[in-house]
Amino acid sequence: MAESRAERLIRNAEGVAYWAAAAPLLARLPPGLGYHIARRRGDWIFRRHAAERTELAGNLRRILGTELSSAAVDSVTREWFRLSSCEAVDVSRLRRGGRPLRRLVDIRGLEHLESALADGNGAIVCSAHFGSFDSAFSMLGACGFPVTTVGRWQHNYTARLSRAERQFWEAVYARPLRRHRKRPNIEPWTGRFDVAARAANVLRANEVLTIAIDAPPLDSDEPRAVEVPFLGRRARLLPGVTTLAKVTGAPVLTAFLHRSADYCHQVLEISAPVPAEGDTVAAFARCAADVSAAITKWPAHWRYWPSSTDLARLGLILPEQDRSPAAAQVAYGQLTLPAS
Amino acid sequence: METVINDYISSELVRDPELLPLADETSLLESGILDSLSLLQLVVFLEERFGITVGDADLLPENFASVNTICAYLRAREPETQAAHG
Repeated sequence: MAESRAERLIRNAEGVAYWAAAAPLLARLPPGLGYHIARRRGDWIFRRHAAERTELAGNLRRILGTELSSAAVDSVTREWFRLSSCEAVDVSRLRRGGRPLRRLVDIRGLEHLESALADGNGAIVCSAHFGSFDSAFSMLGACGFPVTTVGRWQHNYTARLSRAERQFWEAVYARPLRRHRKRPNIEPWTGRFDVAARAANVLRANEVLTIAIDAPPLDSDEPRAVEVPFLGRRARLLPGVTTLAKVTGAPVLTAFLHRSADYCHQVLEISAPVPAEGDTVAAFARCAADVSAAITKWPAHWRYWPSSTDLARLGLILPEQDRSPAAAQVAYGQLTLPAS
Repeated sequence: METVINDYISSELVRDPELLPLADETSLLESGILDSLSLLQLVVFLEERFGITVGDADLLPENFASVNTICAYLRAREPETQAAHG
């Protein structure tokens, strides 16, 4: 179900209007009203964007099919659009030192972060592309923690975006978030050989390094990817976070921001340090298990559901051209092949 | 200095035995010996061995292109390395 050029233009215009004008306005309304309108906008997008909705529901069925009923898949799909819509309001509420957003977020486990920093080796807070994760990182900064993020500003790397579009996303997304970060993002990309050393410098300054560990590996990083259990399958992920922890002695904590049923309030849960025993892959698998558990518990929060390309790169689904029923059964071990 | 650094890279960072013995002028980046994480290991080694701190501003490809350029970088910071050894 390919999107026509006209549909894409309308969609872009609506997105620009929403992020640039509507969301900042909604962020100034009483939270109950502002997030209610954002949620209704999510419902409207859910109805309008048939292709994305179908892709998202299909991927949910492929990956969590046995855990979610058909009604639950529909509900999660709708919820995903609502949460995406609310994210713009979260970002807009990061003004005035982040206080408008901070008032709506119950942060649990902050003592783990304080205790980690008291040891003097910095702290790695790992999360996922989950809910308003970027706002969560910036909110920690607004709470007084010196936060630097390892992660790409995606608008700088998406090939089809025009210069104007990049500037737009820089203004409405990156700039409000960056205001609460201690240093510029450390952006991993092909040929950037200094990423880990820069990240280590953050930790050695006893600061907080945040990272979403569920990003699909770039082609150039494929040799370093490891397979770990994830969402009942095996995903190919980069274990750099545990290597960094081993080299610097920094503890790794996990953090997930999830939205309450009223859509206004959120809970940011920060874990105690993840045990670092064992080799790099074993230690990393524990972090990935925490991410997997959060996604299973709050599936609508995971951002990658509508992106079949990213899910295939993670190894969670087959690439589109290989997605015949028989190929899928072979790939996921459900088909008993005749003995040769 | 060249020998110390070459020995460390050869024993700890080179994964492809065909790249050994490692020449001091071999490009560590183009040969794939240095990536993001192995550079971190190398930086930690240099800091411990030579008593320096490698800041963000020094994390440039030209400083870590080969054993020779690493040594040139360290020599440029000679007073610090001498103090560490002295």
